[in-house]
Amino acid sequence: MKAEGRIRIEKGKAAGRGRERVHDFPPLLPSEESKMLWVDKYRPKTLDQAMVHQDTAQNLKKLVAEQDCPHLLFYGPSGSGKKTLIIALIRQIFGPSADKVKVENRTWKVDAGSRTIDIELTTLSSTNHIELNPSDAGFQDRYIVQEIIKEMAKNRPIDTKGKKGYKILVLNEVDKLSREAQHSLRRTMEKYSAYCRLILCCNSSSKVTEAIRSRCLNVRINAPTDEQIVKALEFIGKKEGLQLPSGFAAHIAEKSNRSLRRAILSLETCHVQQYPFTSNQIIPSMDWEEYVSEIVSDIMKEQSPKRLYLVRQKLYELLVNCIPPEIILKRLLYELLKKLDAELKHEVCHWAAYYEHRMRLGQKAIFHLEAFVAKFMSIYKAFLIAAFG
Amino acid sequence: MSQADIRKWFMKSHDKANASKPAPAPAPAASALPKQSTDPPQQQNVHVGEENSGRRKTSKYFPPNKPKPNEEKETVQVPAKRKTRPDPVESSRPSPAKKVQKVADDDDDDDFVLPQSKKKEATPSKKLKNASGMGIPQNLTSADESDDDETKASRKSGGRGRGGRGSSSAAPAAGRGRGAGRGGFMNFGERKDPPHKGEKDVPEGDPNCLAGLTFVISGTLDSLEREEAEDLIKRHGGRITGSVSKKTSYLLCDEDIEGRKSSKAKELGTAFLTEDGLFDKIRASIRAEAPVKEEKKPVDSARESSLANKSPKKVALKGSPDCTSSSLACRVSHKQSPSDASLARRKEQTTEHSALTWTEKYRPKVPNDIIGNQSLVKQLHDWLAHWHEQFRDTGVKKKGNKPNNTGAKKAVLLSGTPGIGKTTSAKLVSQMLGFQAIEVNASDSRGKADSKIVKGIGGSNANSVKELVSNESLSMDRSKHPKTVLIMDEVDGMSAGDRGGVADLIASIKSSKIPIICICNDRYSQKLKSLVNYCLLLSFRKPTKQQMAKRLKQVANAEGLQVNEIALEELAERVNGDMRMALNQLHYMSLSMSVIKYEDIRQRLLSSAKDEDISPFTAVDKLFGFNAGKLRMDERFDLSMSDPDLVPLLIQENYINYRASAAVKDDSGVERMNLIARAAESIGNGDIINVQIRKYRQWQLSQSCSLSSSIIPAALLRGQRETLEQGERNFNRFGGWLGKNSTLGKNLRLLEDLHFHLLASRESSSGRETLRVEYLPLLLKRLSVPLRKLSKDEAVQEVVEFMNTYSISQDDYDTIVELSKFQGHPNPLDGVQPAVKAALTKAYKEGSKSRMVRVAEFVTFPGMKKAPKKRIAAILEPSDDVTGENNNDTLVLSEEENSSDTEDLESSAVGEKLQQELQSLNKKGVQVQLDLKGATNPSAKRTPAGRGKGASSGASEKKGGRGSGSGAKRKR
Repeated sequence: MKAEGRIRIEKGKAAGRGRERVHDFPPLLPSEESKMLWVDKYRPKTLDQAMVHQDTAQNLKKLVAEQDCPHLLFYGPSGSGKKTLIIALIRQIFGPSADKVKVENRTWKVDAGSRTIDIELTTLSSTNHIELNPSDAGFQDRYIVQEIIKEMAKNRPIDTKGKKGYKILVLNEVDKLSREAQHSLRRTMEKYSAYCRLILCCNSSSKVTEAIRSRCLNVRINAPTDEQIVKALEFIGKKEGLQLPSGFAAHIAEKSNRSLRRAILSLETCHVQQYPFTSNQIIPSMDWEEYVSEIVSDIMKEQSPKRLYLVRQKLYELLVNCIPPEIILKRLLYELLKKLDAELKHEVCHWAAYYEHRMRLGQKAIFHLEAFVAKFMSIYKAFLIAAFG
Repeated sequence: MSQADIRKWFMKSHDKANASKPAPAPAPAASALPKQSTDPPQQQNVHVGEENSGRRKTSKYFPPNKPKPNEEKETVQVPAKRKTRPDPVESSRPSPAKKVQKVADDDDDDDFVLPQSKKKEATPSKKLKNASGMGIPQNLTSADESDDDETKASRKSGGRGRGGRGSSSAAPAAGRGRGAGRGGFMNFGERKDPPHKGEKDVPEGDPNCLAGLTFVISGTLDSLEREEAEDLIKRHGGRITGSVSKKTSYLLCDEDIEGRKSSKAKELGTAFLTEDGLFDKIRASIRAEAPVKEEKKPVDSARESSLANKSPKKVALKGSPDCTSSSLACRVSHKQSPSDASLARRKEQTTEHSALTWTEKYRPKVPNDIIGNQSLVKQLHDWLAHWHEQFRDTGVKKKGNKPNNTGAKKAVLLSGTPGIGKTTSAKLVSQMLGFQAIEVNASDSRGKADSKIVKGIGGSNANSVKELVSNESLSMDRSKHPKTVLIMDEVDGMSAGDRGGVADLIASIKSSKIPIICICNDRYSQKLKSLVNYCLLLSFRKPTKQQMAKRLKQVANAEGLQVNEIALEELAERVNGDMRMALNQLHYMSLSMSVIKYEDIRQRLLSSAKDEDISPFTAVDKLFGFNAGKLRMDERFDLSMSDPDLVPLLIQENYINYRASAAVKDDSGVERMNLIARAAESIGNGDIINVQIRKYRQWQLSQSCSLSSSIIPAALLRGQRETLEQGERNFNRFGGWLGKNSTLGKNLRLLEDLHFHLLASRESSSGRETLRVEYLPLLLKRLSVPLRKLSKDEAVQEVVEFMNTYSISQDDYDTIVELSKFQGHPNPLDGVQPAVKAALTKAYKEGSKSRMVRVAEFVTFPGMKKAPKKRIAAILEPSDDVTGENNNDTLVLSEEENSSDTEDLESSAVGEKLQQELQSLNKKGVQVQLDLKGATNPSAKRTPAGRGKGASSGASEKKGGRGSGSGAKRKR
């Protein structure tokens, strides 16, 4: 009860902002399914249905078949199926009740020493699990981590009917958690392990502290191979009754950079664009990717303060459109490398990594993106002058 | 003798030749040239003397007996001052002889050297082209006239008098954005770089060699930045103004850009001067020193007699530029009667008053002495004079009669920055009107509880304010009892110690039978909000630097201090309008030196400049400014700390606009790009440090932060600003980051809403970033392509179905479109017929009636009364009791426990049945909703505010429930 004074969970507090708070989701009506995106429509619902990581899925199934399960850390590149596996796993543990989820915007009031902090976060929860993305809370993420776990411990399911006596907390993007949050996580993980299991999900385990990694069962989810992607695409094509020209699926798979999600999304994009597929159909790239490549050609064309100013505005445009800065930088580098002389590549990569690191340390992404562009311009300009006078 | 003299001499004669022509006329000069160019320089002065008299007659601007002001630019104006000023102290400082020569030497006023002419080769052929005969006489006369005008004007209207003329004074407090260093002249568009930037030696001349000359700079100079040129001129005693007027001696320009300045100058016959010409002048001042000395004297003395009687007319304070004629006389007199008397007098004077500080000693004795704000003083005077007429009868509201009259307020509030004479005005005016002033200031306790204010009015033994008020009736006999006025000084300083002071003051004002003058610095202070309603507001403005310089000059003369006008103006500018501080500075400097030059003041005040609020824009201007290299580190810190959040943003926004002076010779631009990259990295460092500061509260890092985010980038790139975009104004832009960041915040919120809806639809479980980066393009296609390709009805149906599947609302639709817009790319919805769009909107809205809305607010479910009812009761009951918060809390807690129990029980037992129910409802297209709010969140209702929300959520139920025939409120 002591904890009561420190945290209050309020739902619907922020109704003044006109946001919906709580939703319940009835199951789908069958007639609607045809309108779903394929990527969602053909998502494996159970571990058995998994097409890509069957062995992992089977292992997980065995793991939870015994009464308990350890903390889990899923990591792997995006589009490899981590989330799908996690959902399937939860379904496996709790049965259909895991489908009864609600989404809410919750507000936490946290007493942090002298002041009270309001933290708002979207959570997705069922009776047995809560899923959230604590890194959205920025600096305050550690409060979330601490408080949500304590709260769950408090409301420990009193199931006498043979159901699992624990809840599952799914934390997404753990690699973006601040170091403090990760530290506070590590103690609570142990302390409350009787009440809750953590499933952590991230792209790169290197950004998760050693302490956390050692407390979890690490599950690496590889990116699917091109063959697997092609298989999946063909499966979808068959189900949708599409005519896939030979090589078309392979072409998409190749462009998808081994991301299954991306592949399926582009397949559908192609489908929307022009249905009877032709084998040499252009596979449209993302809008923001096009924009980045425009920026790159701007940079390559001229290296001057004027151009830098123009690039800054374009970078702002991308940022304002909610493209994460890390992705912009990565794409920028990727596009630059395509056009660069071999001898510069190494150096440019070095600087990109340098500025990416700094971007993560800092807060105002545009400063670091701009610094990278300025650095590149100065290197490239010097190179051009040295080479061509 | 230098060529400058030859040239000067030549020009004089040339003047004579075409004295009546206002515009430069080369032809006559040509004829004059051959015979005179050979004349020895020695003749010059004599010649000038003659010429002056001759010209005097021809010039319509000069009264017949007015002296030719041409020769002397000395700044002293003793005789004039003696007559016009009540000041008993006569300044009679001995002006060193050497100044004279220098000045004489500068007199090649009319010299107009064309750009191509080199300094040392002033050949006749060149001179042919230099011909502006009328420049000088016109300038000087007009200077005199406008000076007088100005003095009057400024008396009347306080600070406003200086109008367009004084634009170069760059009032430091002037609006944001313009740096003081820019001379206040708004220069729109891009100014080119000087073509030979930094290639010439900038001469060092005698500090007074340009004294009395007024310059206007136009266009691009040959080698100097505009600011450098200004500094150079000021250093040598010249004056800079922003636009050409009759007073202007020279228009400094290297190319005739046919702008307004040059046309005006031609119209007025102002002389043109090139940069080289300027350098020559300055160099000449040194070279010519010795030779001119002797020659000068006879002329001066010769003229003295005629001059002496005219000078008194002039207002002396203006100093060199205006009063050259009279100064001539007085200077001569100094020289001739070698200042024995005056020296003696000075000594005597200083010893006499040595106990007094200058601020006391030269405090204005009559209201007219107050610098600036004369109209306000007048207003104050009127108010005070009529106070008794207005309020005599009752001492209480007669306001009803004349509500709009200035006298209608019973008190007056003087406001303004320190040191501009508010208290002095109040005292002087009271004194003049025969009021006995009782001053209560911050040194007296003025609290309400402490009734000192009430008691202490006329000293400790006197009556209270209220008594004093009543006394008024007793003391109707005014001859015996002088009228009283209460001066409440520093009312904004009524602080914690004076609790209730302002309120009490207001009460006093209401009932007072004596006038009350309140004085404050900041009239917008929160504390004074109530007070201002009861007072007549008089806002004192800072006096202009000219006004201040004038007065300072008087003081300096009185003290026998030798200071030139430009130096005093600089001083006035540095102290930012604070007369008291200026006097203190002057006093202090007088202890160590008797001759104060522009440079001295600059140096000294660098260290002891008055603290002032620097706007971030000014700070950034200064950091990037041409002088920034000379700033000391602590000054840079001060500048960047003027707003530690905003300055870095401004720097970041603008640093690429500066052409680093460190990379001037950099043709390829590599060097500049390098510097930019370094600056950008440093800015990044600043950001990283800032995170440490904010996140871990490492405030000791704040210096490092401003170092790397502001100072280093500015130091790397300081130089001339250039524009990067067509049509951009050449000012520092406001930091774009703030705006972009808030847009980003907004978009993220919108995206979060969309994400929320998609999650809610349970068709997708991707993260927000994935949603934006990977899903959005496809979503957009699904939402827009059909509208373009299919027929209207089909398309609309398809899109609406899709939207329903993913719970995409119309707002989300807009979000998707908005986030997919890129500058320079076509709008994603281009090519969609407006009719189709309209149909879509209509269809969506129609659909919402029967749609299974999965996204909605709390809707009561009629079938499930029990549990919710209980909860609602639990919520409402305690909140009825506004004060019973404790009670409330306990209730809340028990409720929470309760709910968690029932929740689980119910969920297991009732869950399945409910699920079926829900499904059947869904089939019918009925919306099913949960309200968990009541169940787990009673604490939200703890306060009255919470209650209000309860009500509003009730209201929103209707809205949320639209389209659902019956909602479901269910307790799990």
